[in-house]
Amino acid sequence: MIALESLTVRFGGLVALDTVSASFTAPVSGIIGPNGAGKTTTMNVISGFLTSAGSVTVDGTDLMRLAPHQRSRWGLRRSFQREQIADDLTVEENLWAIADNLSGSRAEKRANIATALEFTGITAIRTKPGAALNTFERRLCDLARCITGDPRLIMLDEPAGGLTVEETARLGGLIGAIPGLGRAQVLVIDHDVDLIQRICAETLVLDFGRRIAFGPTAAVLADPAVKAAYLGIEVEHA
Amino acid sequence: MRDIARNLALWAGLVTVLALALGHDKPLNVLGLFIVSGLAVGSLYALGGIGLVVLYRATGVLNLAAGAIGAVAVMVAWQLVQWGVVAPLAWALGLAFGPILATAYGRGIAPRMAWREPVVKAVASLGFAFVLLGLVSFLWSDDPRKFELPTDKAAVVILGLRVTVTRLLVVAAAILLVIGISAALDRTRVGLQMRALANNRRLSSLIGIPITRVETLAWALSGLLFGFTGLMFGDLVRLEPAVITFLVIPCVAAAIAGRLQSLPDVLMGGLAMGVIESLLTLSDTFKSVRPIAPFVIAALVLLLMSRGRRLTFAGED
Amino acid sequence: MQITRSGLVGLILAALAILVLPMLAGGQWLKIFTSTTAFALAAMGAGFMYARLGMVSLAQVGLMGIGGWVTLRLNHAFNLPFEANLLIGAAMTSVLGMILALPALRMRGLYLALITLMVAGGLEIIFTAYQFPNGGDGFWGVGTSFSATMRRPFLGQTDAGFLRYALVVALLGFLLIEGHRRSASGRAWALIRRSEAAALASGVNVTLYKTWAFGLSGLLAGLGGGVLAGSLGLLDASTFRASESVLLFALVVVGGARFWLGAVITAVLYRVAPGLLNNWGVDADLALVFFGAALLHAVITAPDGLAGQIFGLFSKEAAHDRA
Repeated sequence: MIALESLTVRFGGLVALDTVSASFTAPVSGIIGPNGAGKTTTMNVISGFLTSAGSVTVDGTDLMRLAPHQRSRWGLRRSFQREQIADDLTVEENLWAIADNLSGSRAEKRANIATALEFTGITAIRTKPGAALNTFERRLCDLARCITGDPRLIMLDEPAGGLTVEETARLGGLIGAIPGLGRAQVLVIDHDVDLIQRICAETLVLDFGRRIAFGPTAAVLADPAVKAAYLGIEVEHA
Repeated sequence: MRDIARNLALWAGLVTVLALALGHDKPLNVLGLFIVSGLAVGSLYALGGIGLVVLYRATGVLNLAAGAIGAVAVMVAWQLVQWGVVAPLAWALGLAFGPILATAYGRGIAPRMAWREPVVKAVASLGFAFVLLGLVSFLWSDDPRKFELPTDKAAVVILGLRVTVTRLLVVAAAILLVIGISAALDRTRVGLQMRALANNRRLSSLIGIPITRVETLAWALSGLLFGFTGLMFGDLVRLEPAVITFLVIPCVAAAIAGRLQSLPDVLMGGLAMGVIESLLTLSDTFKSVRPIAPFVIAALVLLLMSRGRRLTFAGED
Repeated sequence: MQITRSGLVGLILAALAILVLPMLAGGQWLKIFTSTTAFALAAMGAGFMYARLGMVSLAQVGLMGIGGWVTLRLNHAFNLPFEANLLIGAAMTSVLGMILALPALRMRGLYLALITLMVAGGLEIIFTAYQFPNGGDGFWGVGTSFSATMRRPFLGQTDAGFLRYALVVALLGFLLIEGHRRSASGRAWALIRRSEAAALASGVNVTLYKTWAFGLSGLLAGLGGGVLAGSLGLLDASTFRASESVLLFALVVVGGARFWLGAVITAVLYRVAPGLLNNWGVDADLALVFFGAALLHAVITAPDGLAGQIFGLFSKEAAHDRA
């Protein structure tokens, strides 16, 4: 379980997150909201890039006690809005870059990397240099990096950015299959509501840094307050 | 405002402590002379620093060719005087090279790197500095020269100290320019646009700020400051192109004192650096390394700036 | 461990140089080549740091001065072999460099460049004020007219032998960097270059790796300074001015920070070109103009420098050719 408790982040006078709380129990959960709602900020708090009031507890571990670079060893993985593949390295070396910082023997790591490559279907291009990859391959490589080792929490920030409809569908299928690999829970931010509906059992909706809805995805998407936030429709007052 | 007052107290306090420590056994008017001379050089560090900061904020370029531009300006001015051109005209023409060179770089070369990181843009400006320094060194021989202003001979007496008018001018110029530029940034339309550009470049272009026009103004203004600083360095320090070119380093120190953003802090830091450097002449142990003062102070400012910063993200500013 | 094509060429050339160059070169040229090798070491240090991590050091020649200073001082104070003086000098340069750079390593890249500029300025003043050890007494080791001998290594007593020794040191320095690059360090560096946030999210201790990269760069500078000390026996403050550090970095970019060939080109341009131009009647000041223009060109259109363009002629994969 991922328990976010009263997360509050201020940048000077701007309140980016306002006492956001939610407990995610589903294997794959979503975070949605209009631009600037605080979705990426939430992930940045969990990653440790921002200081926040409140707490982040995952399966009993208080993440805020760990330095940002230590959370990876604990089992946190993250992808960003822009894919972060090192051009200088091959696909395989990009996965080694994260495996280097995990525990385990070299043989174990090699096996983990092979599994990750296999799962995302990029074993064939594993010696291709990062600079030569296309957008879809980069996204897949990012995803492979996220599932290397035995992660506990994988955060994907707009993983389908820049992909076609088919590629998005394929990626969605992969993401949905991640919980089956091990113990990982997945959090997904995306603007593609269809994708979220398809793969996320629970969804948190943010607007202006506040939680405006949380629960089973279908119910959340039907919530009038959520529709108002997205579409600007006036919520009728009873 | 409160921050400025607090920083002023800190800088003034530091300088006072050092003045007492180093000069308590010296006659007051000797101490005063060192302080005045330090204020003058410090003003030049500050002026250079102000030019650097204004330009950096508006364009993202930390122009390390500032000193070289100043060197060209003062050498042209000197040469014109040698050729018999009426002095004020010679100075004005020399000074004009400041904005001309800066804007030429800013409109001609800098845009080709507009999308690169600030570090890369700063490194590129070194290329410009070497081109200018090479040209100046080539065109003028290595002989010793003097650049003089009539104000060097005139002096006023302030608090019992004899202060040359040149020095007075330079300090006054620094103070007035900081006030003037700060006011302009605060109150004029162009100033607002410049601040917007400094804050977020991409957003500024989206909301219709005429980027090229604002940037050109920043290049021209900074070029003018660099030219003026060059002329004054030539008068107060030494008329040697290589020396003046690398006086950009203490100007960078002053810019750092202002955290690359606050003009009043650049002024205070620059003045303090100049004075402390000057006061160190009074110390037997430190007098041979006194020019190191600006660098040590800048390093300490950076140390303070980095405390409490857990993380850093390279790339987007 | 696979060797790339350009790496193979490099190793062969290095072997040739080590074996043949000291025999072919004569007189003045032996010392010039040795200096060039020393600056190539420093260029390698500044180069890999810029190419792999985007970190700019404008103090590299100044740091060489520290290495040279320590090597000389130890030589005059104790009876240790040259290797010890050299390595201790390099180690101290490395540590001092890391300490000086540390505040800026947690801030934006520009600040590191600026603090190294401050360090370069500061070192120039210190060297000018206190000069280099020449066998005198006291901490600074400067006497009025001494010129105590600089003991060279056992395997490099003559100028030719010392050139060979210097070339071996340069090769070892290169292999040290290459070894890092191919291991976890190199992968961490590549991630940091791409995005420090992504590196952190991948478990990389960014500050540690950046600090150590700077330390490695300083180590090579220190080795270069020690080699200079061994070659010349006495060092002069004017060699280590701030302007020299800035010029060397400019030439690192021009030569091609990414490649071993780049470091060689840098050192040749820096050390040999001005003298050659003088011999040919061209004013050395114009060399400065050319260097400045070359830097602007390199930044705008040829980020891999001259070496990159040369390698590009031989292989369409030059961008990924990593040696």
